[in-house]
Amino acid sequence: MFNGTVGATCALNITSPTGVLVPSGTLQSLSSRLSGGAAGVVTVTTTGGVTLSLEPTPSAVTVPAGDTTSTVWTPSYSVTGAQTIANTTTATSLTAAGTNVVSVDLTGTKTGSNTFVSGAYSATVTVKCE
Amino acid sequence: MASARSRMSRLRQLAAACLLLAGGPASAQSLTPMRGEVTSFSDVFAVRVFPSNPYPQRIRMEVRVYDQEFRPVEAQVSPAAFMLGSESSRPVTVVVPFDGAERRKVRICVESVPFPNQQTQIRAQICGRFLGQRL
Repeated sequence: MFNGTVGATCALNITSPTGVLVPSGTLQSLSSRLSGGAAGVVTVTTTGGVTLSLEPTPSAVTVPAGDTTSTVWTPSYSVTGAQTIANTTTATSLTAAGTNVVSVDLTGTKTGSNTFVSGAYSATVTVKCE
Repeated sequence: MASARSRMSRLRQLAAACLLLAGGPASAQSLTPMRGEVTSFSDVFAVRVFPSNPYPQRIRMEVRVYDQEFRPVEAQVSPAAFMLGSESSRPVTVVVPFDGAERRKVRICVESVPFPNQQTQIRAQICGRFLGQRL
């Protein structure tokens, strides 16, 4: 006789480690969700019973020297596969066993009359499974 | 007209500047077990976890310990950082002090570390939840 127990497991595979941010027409938003942008992609394989989330604040944010105004950065994600989750910023329980494809997006927003300027922007988003 | 052209040019410049370079090889990770309860007679409790790399390239990993609010916990992690070969796993021993409490909940997290010169914009972190109880 053989016995075994399968506990909660989670394997993350970063299949597309970089996203592409593009500016809106008003230059007040910089997002991977806009036309021409691209999300980062992570594959999550789980037995279920785990929670998927993003760090609410991106790390290693770099902006051009000419950008002196503050930006609100908002990571978000959506899931397809064993489970379907519409774009969200909050933690979600992965209850179904199987493989999911997680699209990770990032949006930067300026307030008031502030706008993004020419130059390179980058930030790192952490995907968490627990 | 000139203003519209200038605006389009600025948008193109900005879009080009925001293009992030494609990264290097993908990295992946998992952690076993992700749940556990430990009973201890001493002032510390120990957990052995097995981070694994189920994918076809070597990756660098770090193991960190946090409390329930994700504040860092001063635990002994051995080893705390290491390279892990393709489709392999290795044991990591974590010794957590009770700090005077009768029970302590911690998260033990494994994080893949991007290699230098790679434009990795997504990091992956897998955390297991563990409860230590003192007898």
